[in-house]
Amino acid sequence: MVLTGPSLVAIFLICAAGVFCSALFARKQVPSVLAVAGTLSSILMVLTSAIVLLGGRPFEASLWTLDGFGRLAIHLDPLSSIFLLVSGVVYFSVSLFAASYLKNQAHAAHPHRHYSILYFALMASVVLILVAGDTVLFLISWECMSIFCFLLINYFPRGQADKSAGYIMLAMSEAGFLAVAVAFLFLARSAPDFSFAALRIASATLSPHTLWLPFLLGLFGFGVKAGLVPVNFWLPRSYTAAPPAFIPVFAGITLNLGFYGILRLNADLMHAGYGAGIVALIAGSVTALVGILYATTDNDMKTMLAHSSIENAGIIVAAFGAFLVFRAFDETVAAALALSAALYHMVNHSIYKTLLFEGAGHVEAATGTREMDQLGGLSRLLPGLSAVFLVGCLAISAVPPFNGFVSEWMTLQTMLRSALLASTSVRIVFALCGAALALTAALAVTCFVKSYAMNFLGIRRGNWELQDKTQAMNKFPLVFLAVLCLLLGVLPTYVLPMLNRSVEPLAGASVTTALVQPFFTATPQNVQLPAAFLQDFHNLGAQAGKGVIPGRGLVVLLRGKEANPVVFAMSPSYSIVALILLVAATWFVVSRFTKKRTLARRPVWAGGIPRLLPVLTYTGTGFSNPVRVVFQAIFRPNIIEDTRQTVAVHFRTAIHRQREETHVVDRLLLKPVGSSVQWVAAFLAGMHHGKLNAYVTYVLAFLLLVLFLYRGG
Amino acid sequence: MSFWFWHGLRKGIQSTRYPGRAENTPGISPGRPMNTDFSSAEEARLAAEICPSDAIVAHGKSTYVDHGKCVNCQLCLHSLPSPMNWEPGFEWTRLPANRTESFPLPSAFAKSTHIMVVDAGDCGACLHEVKQLNNPLYNMHRLGFFLTATPRTADLLLVVGPVSENMRGPLLKTWEAMPTSRKVMAVGSCAISGGVFGRSFMCACGVGSVLPVDFEVPGDPPPPLAILHGLLVVAGRKSLKSLEPVSEGRS
Amino acid sequence: MAAHSSPIAGDNTAGLIDLTAAVEERFGSEISRAPVGGGFVLTLALSQPDVLPALCKFLFWEHGCLFGGITTEEHAARWQMHYTFLLLGSGWIDLELSLPLETIVLPSIVAEVHAADWHEREIEDLFGIHFENHPRLGDFVLHDQIWHEGIDPMRKNFSASHPQLERKVDLDWQPLLVVGDPGSFAMPVGPIYEGGVGESLHFLLETVGEDVIRAAPRLFYNYRAVEKIAEGRTVGDALLLSERFAATSAFAHSLAFCLAAERIAAVDVPPRAAALRVLLAELERLRHHAGAIAAICESTALAVPASQAAIIEENLLRASCVFADHRYLFGLNTPGGLNRDFGSEQCNTLLVAVDEAESDLRILEKRLRLSSSFLDRLEDVGVVTGENARDLNLVGPIGRASAQHCDLRKACSYSGYGQLPFDVPCETEGDGYARLRVLFAEATQSAKLIHRVAGRLEEGLVRVSCELHRAGAALGWAEAPRGAALHWLRVDKTGVVERYRAITPSFNNWLGFHVAAENFAFQDFPIILATFGLSATECDR
Repeated sequence: MVLTGPSLVAIFLICAAGVFCSALFARKQVPSVLAVAGTLSSILMVLTSAIVLLGGRPFEASLWTLDGFGRLAIHLDPLSSIFLLVSGVVYFSVSLFAASYLKNQAHAAHPHRHYSILYFALMASVVLILVAGDTVLFLISWECMSIFCFLLINYFPRGQADKSAGYIMLAMSEAGFLAVAVAFLFLARSAPDFSFAALRIASATLSPHTLWLPFLLGLFGFGVKAGLVPVNFWLPRSYTAAPPAFIPVFAGITLNLGFYGILRLNADLMHAGYGAGIVALIAGSVTALVGILYATTDNDMKTMLAHSSIENAGIIVAAFGAFLVFRAFDETVAAALALSAALYHMVNHSIYKTLLFEGAGHVEAATGTREMDQLGGLSRLLPGLSAVFLVGCLAISAVPPFNGFVSEWMTLQTMLRSALLASTSVRIVFALCGAALALTAALAVTCFVKSYAMNFLGIRRGNWELQDKTQAMNKFPLVFLAVLCLLLGVLPTYVLPMLNRSVEPLAGASVTTALVQPFFTATPQNVQLPAAFLQDFHNLGAQAGKGVIPGRGLVVLLRGKEANPVVFAMSPSYSIVALILLVAATWFVVSRFTKKRTLARRPVWAGGIPRLLPVLTYTGTGFSNPVRVVFQAIFRPNIIEDTRQTVAVHFRTAIHRQREETHVVDRLLLKPVGSSVQWVAAFLAGMHHGKLNAYVTYVLAFLLLVLFLYRGG
Repeated sequence: MSFWFWHGLRKGIQSTRYPGRAENTPGISPGRPMNTDFSSAEEARLAAEICPSDAIVAHGKSTYVDHGKCVNCQLCLHSLPSPMNWEPGFEWTRLPANRTESFPLPSAFAKSTHIMVVDAGDCGACLHEVKQLNNPLYNMHRLGFFLTATPRTADLLLVVGPVSENMRGPLLKTWEAMPTSRKVMAVGSCAISGGVFGRSFMCACGVGSVLPVDFEVPGDPPPPLAILHGLLVVAGRKSLKSLEPVSEGRS
Repeated sequence: MAAHSSPIAGDNTAGLIDLTAAVEERFGSEISRAPVGGGFVLTLALSQPDVLPALCKFLFWEHGCLFGGITTEEHAARWQMHYTFLLLGSGWIDLELSLPLETIVLPSIVAEVHAADWHEREIEDLFGIHFENHPRLGDFVLHDQIWHEGIDPMRKNFSASHPQLERKVDLDWQPLLVVGDPGSFAMPVGPIYEGGVGESLHFLLETVGEDVIRAAPRLFYNYRAVEKIAEGRTVGDALLLSERFAATSAFAHSLAFCLAAERIAAVDVPPRAAALRVLLAELERLRHHAGAIAAICESTALAVPASQAAIIEENLLRASCVFADHRYLFGLNTPGGLNRDFGSEQCNTLLVAVDEAESDLRILEKRLRLSSSFLDRLEDVGVVTGENARDLNLVGPIGRASAQHCDLRKACSYSGYGQLPFDVPCETEGDGYARLRVLFAEATQSAKLIHRVAGRLEEGLVRVSCELHRAGAALGWAEAPRGAALHWLRVDKTGVVERYRAITPSFNNWLGFHVAAENFAFQDFPIILATFGLSATECDR
């Protein structure tokens, strides 16, 4: 407790030191500065948040008073500390990765110094957002974060597309900022000052209908950062444009901030109703589905991962929507389950997406391309990278024993909990959204099977050479994250109590008591489960290790109410032990029986042709084309056929079908909005034709309108 | 559509009883010429002369036939004043000239043999006869013989055709891609000796000049049951009929 | 020559006279009429090659002649080119071009007659004659991966027993791919596929996933240089080759070869031999069609009818063996007739088997028509329009399923077909189902013909002596089960083959395969392949 304040100060001091050192030291030293200052501050972030989480009490401090805005306050509660913890973990890995990347960056003009300065500035603003205890500090740091993000992308644009991606991002961030500011100010209308505590009290007095306004504004404003449909069109563009060393910051940290904002506003500062929950649930599910569809069909690794981030944000927001609904219906246990699923998935996504983006950065640095149609066969060239990237792919595809499985399992379980709800229409929405999320999960497997297979398996399809320098690139940050993926997947019963610290105050029920059962002992404390049930497990020896293993148990288990007494249970911890035993036994048996056999390796069988040429193997496009065909109604491609022939039909010299796709959001939202804005502008321009009598008429008409409106008042 | 099921059932079992029982339905084999003792040396000489593929060699009053060269033109049956002896059977599988002992597949493969067929410039007849083994009248599946699409799991390489130059590479690749317990069977006169195509810039004069051959099934084309006999010999479930005394024609 | 073997059987004499007049009027200065003979009803000698494209276009498009093929020979130290066309009902027209050996560039007629595409590619590959304005020469018979440029094996100075050079496979060889969609690739099929029971040929299915945009066959894996190794052999030995390069239509090919030889020797076969030849040829057609039907059923994974058709085919093979001592009818044809005679008892046994096969096929057809899932897979699959079929000169059942009526048995009768009543079934849809219907209908017609011939066999010899003691060249033709087969033969005065040219229906029709295999779902590929029913080995020779 005592340490929290000083360590927070230390984080900001180290960030400042990072900025100054990057500015002053020689260019060659900059990567070292990045590594040292970055890891130090991230370790402090982890420490600070751990203190708050384990201590259980929020840290509060007030800073100086700003005239007209009240006191600026620092407030680090369990909710923000979860986000700070994740940011610390991600920053730790990214700092090392970015340092290593910059060190090996061959480009002489690469602006190391500026990147480093922006990196630390962004880090400070991120921490400030998370510890902000009042609206003013929050909004200021939010704005700073947006601008630093923009600068990081646009400082060293590699082309017109990159430049415009940066501007689109800035414009959307600013629009989001305005919406968020209005939402906060709306809540602050009836509050004495701008502190979060005051807003919390003020919002309780507002009628549920008026809360719709801040909810929708917040969903829009924060949804921009979180990448929700339909305001996420900037995201794939700017992620693709972002410098490879720093994209993980966007995917692993700033994306979470959007979710943090939504959570802080709707779950903490005000109690949004179930209608809001439904909106969030639908928005989340649609976002997830749209995100994964575009991820599956995209062949640029960075763009694909960006679309996949959208998908994951969608899953998180959907679970959050379920949380709001359950809370509004006073199903506290289900609400706790939903929120912990959302937070768990947020943590997981940050970790594996950082890992994957770092992996993609490695691949791009090693080969000079990130086009899946060009890559291939990397597993033989970069076996280490291939292994950690595979871990990331398995984790994000929700394959046990990795972490993605746990949080997606919990999210889908949450959807099944809708049986508890009384309203049939809400249940139907839950069922549909659950189906959408299940489809998303299935497509995610396709997507990442493709991305691993096309990059690492098969044979090289493009004309690239492996660059030696990248061999030297540090793989520790990736391995670190891969280990975390495994741990978070194998030990959910240790993670859930941690999350519970943030979940319990918001949901009103403990997820630890609900989900993490004590070891199966037929004791009176285990009131959740029927005695006969426990006895069965007892006889099976399920309480083995009770005295030795710390913690409550190793099984995540949830029993339905009397009306629906289904037990949902899983235990990756036991599963991994069983898996290891099985694999070891199989290996033992097989190796015993095949001792005498020798292994022969032959070239790949390709029907007898002399050599399997790269052009004869599957491309990423080919692999994902079934998805494109099945979801034609969403993609709505515009196919431009260009076929050339010399002598009548049968000498086709070229068949070329360019496929033009406009993202569904661009097509349904951006284009109509754009054209109507242009139409209005043209109309207004038409009114300004410079004739005096016309202007006088406008003034008169307006005057009459005002008089008419205020005729009573 | 269900009527196909009944239609199929009504036809009953049509498969041959071979190898459990002897099979002598007319038309299953064209037969082949056998070593013949003529009454005069002149007749023997005529028989040797009429043979377009030099499969018949005259030695005094006797003629010897190398079935690996015989192209089944039947001139020695229909166009001679006194025809050669004609053998109606089909159990013709033999060892190549450079082998004296039969090495069938290890017994583990005997009841389930996977066969990779390669058309190395075949005229279509031998290949067609191999294909016939899949039809209900022969139904080689009942004996545990399966055609496989990949050499990786194949136990036997069945080659038809004289090995055309353009197929030499693919044939070798197939052979290399197989597990080393593989056996190679040359089916048809072309695959054994090049047949009518002989040795040319485009033909390798038989599989033996490209790969080590373990078994040969002569005939142009050998009828399905001859090939089936060959498969049974490769699987070690039939012995070679009798190791014929090497005739002079085969020197 | 007796009437039944005369090329002018349909008696379209008026058409021929008109055509001759029209050609002389248009191209009078560049061409001269050469003496007729060797199976041709009109031989036009061209003084120089420039007029060739225009003349071919005139014959093919304006006069509706069918394209037969191009035959090249190195004769008397000059190039002799024969461009063969068929005037329906009249007979074959030969455009003869004689050029000095130094000429190595000729105008291509491929822009006028697309069907000449592969002929020109083959000649370029094997003779080294270049065709101007042909868009795609090279890498045809001699695969570029293993044969380097500059080998012209069909030239007289190239020895057929030329020792094989130690050759290196060119691993950098890249296939010609046409589809340039982003992310497109080619699925290689073969040369060894289907567990090898498919013939050796290679396809590149160009696709962007899911649907195949273009499928181009790569043939000649089975090229055994039959035409080259026949040179220098006696006619009897060359006959063995013509019989054994494509066994599933062995009788038709040996028949066409014998007809050419008989034409050179100016020998008429006895009527009994001619009738028996018809009988055997129709037996082969019936058996081939049963096999083709079995393959089509198998390609749609309809197991019972596939088995039933295979049983019919095997029973016909056995009937052939009982009747003629050989399952594939080898060793029967000989210049001058047949090697042996058949008794009426034998014929009756055969007729029983044929009747049984025919009635089984009829039942099969009736039931297949009721199998909707089967028809769904065939209908509108692998469509060849009538225009495409004409454009690419498709022959045989495939052509007849696309409204191309040509059947050599009627269009240019041989071996007495002119006197026999039979129908040439024809369809217009050009899809897989139309091809299947044509196969069934032709099988019925064949059975009918076998009956008719067997019922009216004249007594007499089946063979006359056919001594080849004078040099000469002639064309022989037959409607093989897969379509028109043309065998052109030149022998010297000792009866040794100087040049043998076999133009096969598969060679003709493989050229048109890509038209049917465009923009289809991958799972339809085996069906398209089966309904075409082409033979690679017949194409490759």
